This record gives sequence, C-alpha cells and structure tokens, in this order.
Amino acid sequence: MPDTLQTPAGHVRLGSNSGQPMTRRDGIAKVTGTATYAADNRPDRLAHAVFASAGIARGRVVSLNVEAAKSHPEVIEVITPDNRPALHLDPDGKSHPFSWRIEALQDNTVRYAGQPIALVVAETLEAATEGARLLAPEYDTDPARIGFENGEAYDPPAVGIGGNPSFSKGDFDTGFSNSEHRIGASVDTPAQYHNAMEPHAIVAEWSGDHLTIDTPNQAIHLARGAFAGYFGIPPENVTLRSPFIGGGFGSKAILVGPQILAIMAARMVDRPVKLVLRRDQMFGPVQHRGATRQKLRIGTDGNGLIKALEHEATASTSSFDDFIEGAGNASLNMYASPAIVARHSAVRVDTGTPGPMRAPGEASGSAALEIAIDKAAEAVGMDPLEFRLRNYAETDPASGKPFSAKSLRECYELAAQKFGWSDRPLAPGQMRDENGMLVGWGMGSALFPAPMFAAQARATLRRDGTALVETSGADMGQGAWTALAQIAADGVGLPVDRIEFMSGTTDQPDAGVAGGSGHTASAGGALFEAGSNAVQKLADLATADPESPLFGAGNTGVEAREGRLFRADDESRSESYADILERAGLERIDAMGSGGRDPANTEARAMFSHGAVFAEVKIDPDLFQIRVSRLIGAFAAGRIINPHLAKSQLTGGMIWGIGFALHEEGIHDLRSGRPLNADLAGYHVPVNADAPHVEALLVDEDDPYVNALGIKGVGEIGITGSVGAIANAVWHATGKRISSYPIHIDALLS
Amino acid sequence: MGAYLQPDTLDEALGILAREPVTIAAGCTDLFAATESQSLNGTVLDVTRIEGLRRIAKDATGWRIGAASTWSDVIAADLPPAFDMLKQAAREVGSVQIQNAGTVAGNICNASPAADGVPPLLSLDAHVEIGAKGGPREVPLAEFLTAPRATVLMPGEMVTAIRIPDVSDKGESRFSKLGARKYLVISIVMVAARLHVQDGFVRDIALSVGACGPVATRLAALEEALRGTPLAGLPDRLQPDLIASALTPITDMRASDEYRREAAVHLLRRVLDDLTLMRSPV
Ligand SMILES: Cc1cc2nc3c(=O)[nH]c(=O)nc-3n(C[C@H](O)[C@H](O)[C@H](O)COP(=O)(O)OP(=O)(O)OC[C@H]3O[C@@H](n4cnc5c(N)ncnc54)[C@H](O)[C@@H]3O)c2cc1C
Repeated sequence: MPDTLQTPAGHVRLGSNSGQPMTRRDGIAKVTGTATYAADNRPDRLAHAVFASAGIARGRVVSLNVEAAKSHPEVIEVITPDNRPALHLDPDGKSHPFSWRIEALQDNTVRYAGQPIALVVAETLEAATEGARLLAPEYDTDPARIGFENGEAYDPPAVGIGGNPSFSKGDFDTGFSNSEHRIGASVDTPAQYHNAMEPHAIVAEWSGDHLTIDTPNQAIHLARGAFAGYFGIPPENVTLRSPFIGGGFGSKAILVGPQILAIMAARMVDRPVKLVLRRDQMFGPVQHRGATRQKLRIGTDGNGLIKALEHEATASTSSFDDFIEGAGNASLNMYASPAIVARHSAVRVDTGTPGPMRAPGEASGSAALEIAIDKAAEAVGMDPLEFRLRNYAETDPASGKPFSAKSLRECYELAAQKFGWSDRPLAPGQMRDENGMLVGWGMGSALFPAPMFAAQARATLRRDGTALVETSGADMGQGAWTALAQIAADGVGLPVDRIEFMSGTTDQPDAGVAGGSGHTASAGGALFEAGSNAVQKLADLATADPESPLFGAGNTGVEAREGRLFRADDESRSESYADILERAGLERIDAMGSGGRDPANTEARAMFSHGAVFAEVKIDPDLFQIRVSRLIGAFAAGRIINPHLAKSQLTGGMIWGIGFALHEEGIHDLRSGRPLNADLAGYHVPVNADAPHVEALLVDEDDPYVNALGIKGVGEIGITGSVGAIANAVWHATGKRISSYPIHIDALLS
Repeated sequence: MGAYLQPDTLDEALGILAREPVTIAAGCTDLFAATESQSLNGTVLDVTRIEGLRRIAKDATGWRIGAASTWSDVIAADLPPAFDMLKQAAREVGSVQIQNAGTVAGNICNASPAADGVPPLLSLDAHVEIGAKGGPREVPLAEFLTAPRATVLMPGEMVTAIRIPDVSDKGESRFSKLGARKYLVISIVMVAARLHVQDGFVRDIALSVGACGPVATRLAALEEALRGTPLAGLPDRLQPDLIASALTPITDMRASDEYRREAAVHLLRRVLDDLTLMRSPV
C-alpha cells in the first residue's frame, strides 16, 4: 500500500500511526474498572426499574396485581398499559429503516415470551424486582406458534434492511438439468440470541424537556433522533452517552422497548431511572438471529465448473414485524456461475423480532453455501480448494462488475499453506490422530460487503502542538477508540499521544453507524478528512506568510508530519504547527470532514472483504464429541489500520463460527413458546478450551476504489467461511454431511 | 429475607433445625441459581461455619467427608487411589470458582440427575450421615436419592457427612464425563469405575452411571458378572445389555436417549481400558 496519500493539503503520511499494532488505548481503564459502562452511572436520587416479563408467548394479560406491587414500601410507581403516558410516536410504527416495532406497554397483548408487560420503579433494584414478581400476571392464552411448521408463511417484501428478497440471472433450470453433476443440500440454522457480556442497560434523566441517557449504542446520532421522536422533543434536547459498550454485535444499533420504558418512567417519577436487563431478559425484546431453513442446488460440468447455483432460504420472524435473514444472498457474490437464483420466504412465529446479529444473512447463508460447495466438489471428485479456485469469480457474479479489489486467491494460498492443506486425503474418514480420534479437514470461503455510512468529524489544531479530534464513534470492544485515533492522528500529522480523541457521545459530530463492518472506513474517513482539512488551513496560512519558511510553497504542496509542515520538494524547509498558529495570533484552527466514497466508484465496482478459513476437527469415534483443534483463516480487507485489533476482530469472528457450528442455539418450548435455555449455562458459547488454536492471517490488499484510505471492514467476515469449514471438516472426518446447526453429537450417531 | 443464621456448633444447628423450617445453605452454588426471587425467603441456615464440618479424615470405620467440605478440599486431600474418581469429578464440577465454594454434600442434597459427585460416591459405597436433634441416622447414598431433586431428608434433618466404609477404599478408580463443550458444562453422561484387583482377578468392581436416569445408578448385574473374572480382557466382557437394562435415559436438549445409552457403554469401556492398562505388567 502507498504510505502517503494525496490530499488537498498535499501529501499526508499514513503509516506513522495507522498500520501500527497499537494495543487498546482504553485497555488500562477497562482492566482497572475506571471505564464506565451505562449501568455504572449512579446519579443522585436514582430510582431502579425492572420490567415484568410475559410468561406466555401469545395472548393477553388479563390481570396484574398492581395493588400488591404498590403496597411494597419501596415501590414508587407501577407502569402498565392502563396508566402509561402517551408516546409521541406509535411504538408499532416504523419511522425509518432502522426502527423496529417495540413493546412500550401500548396494550395488553402478548406477542412473545419475555415481552415487557409492566414496569416497576422502586428505590432499590431488589424492591423493583420484588414488585415485578408481586404483579403475578394472569393471562388469556392463545396457542404459541413456534418452529417453521407451525408458523404463518408469507413472501417478504425485503430481506435484511431493505435487501432484495429475490435475485435471478441466467437460466437456472436449463443450466441445472444439463449439468453433469447435480447436488442438493438442506441446511437449518437455529435462532441465536444476543448475549453480549454487557446486557442492555440505560440510565435516563430528565431536566425539563431535556433528556440525558447513558446507554450502550452503536449509532448515537441516529438513536438520538429516534429517542427524541418517541418523546416529542427536538433531537438537540437529547444527550446520549455511550463511551464504552460491552459488545454490540447489532443488538445495540436499534432502539428496544425497555429503553423507552425507562425514559418514560424517569419522566413519570421525575427522577433518574436505571434499568438493566437480566440475562434471561436478553432472550426476547433485544432481537436475535432468526432461524433459517435453506435449500441449495448446484450443477457442475465435467470439469467442475459451476453451471447453475440456486439458494433458497426461509427465515423466521415475529408475528408483528419483519427482519428476514437474507441468507440466500450469500450465494450472489462468491462463486462464478452463469445462472444464479436466490429466493427468500418467511415464517411468522411467536418470538421477539429478529434483528441484525454479527454478519446477518451472510453468516447463516455462508454456513449453508459452503456445505453445498463442498458437496459439489465431492460430486466432481475434486479437492475442495481446487474446486473453489476453479470457480473463482474474477468479477462479481451477481452484477458482473469488477471488484474494487479482491485478493481471495492470496488468502486461499496463505491459509492453505499455513494449515498444510496439500496433505489432505480426498476421501473422508482417512485420518486418525495418535489418540485414535477421527481427524477431518474442511474449508470455507469468507466474504463480507464493504459498506460505508455518512459520517462527520471535527479536527482542531491547538497552539500547544496538540490536536482535538471528535466524532461520535462507538467503541464496543472492537477497538474503535484506538484505530480511529490512529487514523485521526495521521490526518492531523501528529503522533497519537498528542491528540485528544473525543468520541462516544452526542456532543461530537455524527460518526454514523458502528455496524455493517463499516465503522472504521466511515468514521475513519471523516476523521482523516477533518484532519487534512485543518492541516490545509494551516498550510494556507504558512504558504501565504512571507515570514514562514514555507512561503510560496502553495503550488508544490507541503507534507504534514510530527506536528510540522515540510515543503514537499525541500525537506529542509519546515515549520511547526505551533509556530504557524502563534504568528497568526490564533489559539486554534479547526475543520470538519466527512470522508465517504466516490459515487462513481460505488456505481462501477463491487466491494467486499474476502477470506479463506481452514478447519481441523477431531472427533471421538465412539462418542462423536467434536473438537475444533485448529482454525486458520487468511483475510484481505484493504488497508489494515491496526493489525493487532484486526486480528482480534477476525479471531473473535472465527470463534463465533465455532459457536455457530457447534454450540449456539436458542430453544423454545413448542407448547409454551418460552425459551428453554435463557441463561449462559444452557445457551452455550465456546469456552477457551473449545478454541485451542484460532489464527487469523492478514493479506495485504491495496484497494484504490473503496474509499480514500483504502479501508474495508473486519468486524463480521470472520464468522463467514468458518462455520462451513467446520461442518465440512466434520464430513471429512466421518463421512456425514451436516444438515443442521449447531452440529449435535447425536446427529453423528449412525 | 428472614434471619441468616451461622451457628458454630452442630448442636446449635440441629437445635435451629428442630425449632423452625429453614433453608440450609452451604456453598450456595445450586441454591443461588435455583432461587428465582432476589433473595431467599424465610430463615437461612448457613452450615459452613460449623466446627468440624469441613474436614476430610479417616477413622476406625472408614472415611468421613464433612458436609462443609468443598470440591477444592477433595482435590487437595490426601486420599487413596480409590478416591481418584472423586477427585477427577471434583475437577470437572463447574469451574475453579465453583469448586472453591460448592460442597460435596450440597451436590448430593441438590439431587440433580447430572450431579457429578454422585457416580463416584456410589462407586465408593458412600453412606450419608444425617443429623437431627433426636439423634443421627445413616442411609446408603443409593437410598438417600429418591428422584430428581428429591432425597429422604426430612424436616429438621441435615447432612453432616458422607461416609466411605473402609472396605470400599480399595483399588483404583476413574471418572469420565461427557459434555457438549470442554469446560463449565452440564454432563450428558458420566461414569465412575472402581476396580480392585487381586492376583490378576477382579476382586471387586463398582460401576456407576450418571445423567442416564432420574438418579445415578450402580450397575449391579454387570458388576456381579465381572467379579472374580480375570483382569485380562476385562473391558471386552462389558455386556451392553446389562448396562442398557440398568439405564433409563431421556431425550433432552443436550442429547437423545439413544445417544446416552451408547455413550455410557463407550465411556465405561474406556475407563476400564484405562484401569486395566494401568494394572498390566509392562
Ligand atoms: C456455574 C455453575 C456450574 C456448575 N457446574 C456443575 C457441574 O459441572 N457438575 C455438578 O455436579 N454441579 C455443578 N454445579 C452445581 C453445584 O455447584 C454443585 O452441585 C455443588 O456441589 C453444590 O454445592 P453447594 O455447597 O454450593 O450447595 P448449595 O447450593 O449450598 O445447596 C444445594 C442444596 O443442598 C441443600 N444442602 C446443602 N448442604 C446441605 C446439608 N449439609 N444438609 C442438607 N441439605 C443441604 C441446600 O439446601 C440446597 O437445597 C454448577 C453450579 C454452577 C453455578
């Protein structure tokens, strides 16, 4: 990658900060407990709120013992549909694409188990909890509809957020029937529930018609507008603080009902109110990854070239809102095929509404696609890697557009080599380790789009030689507070320890959404541009000032580095920022930036991060216990701002892949509709011992089109590829194809 | 929450038990997880401070694991090889934090079908020593556990110790647990085997299986068939039908009944393999 960029101010070096494996700047604050999360806030006169959760999945609440709850000496208020104050926006409306229908006690209906049906506000958490228990709800119960067979099927108008529910190119039927080898694959994926370490939490405080909220949020300005909307106040009246987020993964990008209830309560009791979800309350009102039922068909010719690819996906959503896993669309951009069809249908069940969960659509879709591709390779009798290379898409299969950059071949090569793939026997069931375990090797290809969101930032160069850079970015553990500061430092031409980086509240310019793996590119682009715009202003001052050594350098340009401007054509002529400001009699100079992507490039190119993941599993030949003994991936995602953080994002995604393949599964009782495993003892995620060797390798990639900095994303891609690689390794060990996730040990029992 | 009582002596504790209904609390690792309200209702009797209750020692008749002994205490105790299976189970109860707090007695009183302590204790012929104001009584562990979450304990009683008769501290032992992940996991199946070999023959054998029925169980018929047979080839003489007939597993979200039945056989064969290999002359 070039390490300097042509900016309006001339050449700005990227690399003195960006590209360095800095450790998290907030690491010490986090391990010493000085980093405060939403629930750590304890304003004076704080009251505590707990919501009562519906114990049925469908029906109506017919009675609540409000008297009993209110008679508890420390209970302050009980909010039910009967006394709930009006909201300015309809909780069942959808004001913009990122708004979900929520439960804000609008009526007495129950639409899923765990839905808030009343809110108790009390002096203490204990009293609020006891008050909620005393409500002892009684219900009029309708039968719960759980599972694909029992729900109500329909054709969704869109998948994901505004995605196309169907796609077709070429003639699938002819291509498939003329194919030499034809395979089909059916793969089910379960509901997966958001369980970030930090549950959803909020502290809300009103002062007149000004609202201050501490709540973890992935899209601070968007949320500000939405919160303001519900309470009929201008967005400027909302201060939202979210300096640290204990994991978001999509669930904290969208407003949820309990947050609205807490704000409502704070206004009613005229005191600050805190509400923190219990772990079991994470299994309902805060979205989840919807279940899918997928069917794929692939036809290939005698040489192993794919001639037809079809991916159908049915996804579950709630009875009252739509979020459809766009799983079928995972087949649109990965493998070359003259005919591709993707189709989606949906089923309404009595659960909470699904929402984006790390790689929504892509994760579930890739988990099925990679199994189908492996089966197709098997049908042809070809090594799975060779098969994938044979069907390598040189241009985007769906649109025919060239890729902005694609280094998947290099990813395959690097990871395969590191893994030792070339020693793999073609047939399954051939390998055993020294303890007699069945060993299998499998692989999957990884892909994730490189979206960008509107973002803004401000950079202020100060006379003391430091800079203040601001954007409302969200650090949810991924390291935004570090990586964005690195980019910002390069933008202003200062070492990172000389910049003050302000982020995480509505006081800063809008950093857009920390989602879709686009935060570093979007907010980083804005920060960089703000910095270089500020440097430009400084350069204008200096080059027009006869007393500056840079006088007259306007045409040749200057380079900003270490707090000095250098003439681009003469390194010996330079001046410090401080001196330039001093002479100009200025305390500071500031500028805004927005970054973004050249619309012409958006039009002309397909933009994705790519990767390849190789898995080794060891399976007990008698008990079928599955362990992923090695998981090695290589990823190409444009410019890597911080290899240390990028690898940790990628390995985190890959470990999620282990969880997806082997553990995570939200189980609802078919009769009552209640979640059966709404805690972390029953809802398994991998423990360290389940992930003994997970390794992410980075492939250098120069993407001149994706955005000025060449940044793609690494947040979500790690799951894609990994899940299928594990399933394929299980096949290679045992000869058994996987038809549903997570892979249960008893599914391998013959 | 009512009163929280922490007596120093057993007499005091038994007095409280005779006087009023209480919730007995030891490490609280089951109690806490099972309590739905924010606090326990009624009087709580904490038994962990009772003098002498946290002791593992041998006396004239055998071993005594005091009711306040934790899993970590078991791991640290100097015990004969017959107890290895109990130590192995101890290392797999939850996590180290849980082992530091959770007690062996709490594990059996909680009476979960998946309690990891039960199979090894069954294979040690454990008896449960029960204290009450009116005097103590002792029941075999196999009779103490009556159904999932149910024991023969009556109001006014508490477990004071688990006793292992000295005839049963002989031989070597192994425990093996199967879970859906590698750590911090509820057992799908677990087995505990104790093998006492004399002159190349099985003098005594004790085999138990857990999580394959309402309560863990000894495989009496199989043991009977194996007693007195030569050590050589012992694992091959495991008769799957004698195992299957003793088990009544269910299908739940962790595994199917069919899987459990098969897995129990494999786990038993493995622990016996291990125990026989260890005994074979090199
Ligand atoms: C995260 C986690 C993981 C766990 N993993 C495992 C596991 O892998 N395997 C496993 O078997 N268990 C596991 N457990 C359960 C638990 O830790 C064990 O059963 C433990 O041994 C219970 O002991 P305790 O002292 O904490 O019992 P407590 O919770 O204090 O008591 C349990 C029950 O026994 C009663 N009781 C306690 N002592 C006496 C007494 N002396 N007399 C009469 N009644 C008494 C109590 O009233 C209560 O009903 C886990 C628990 C947690 C929270």
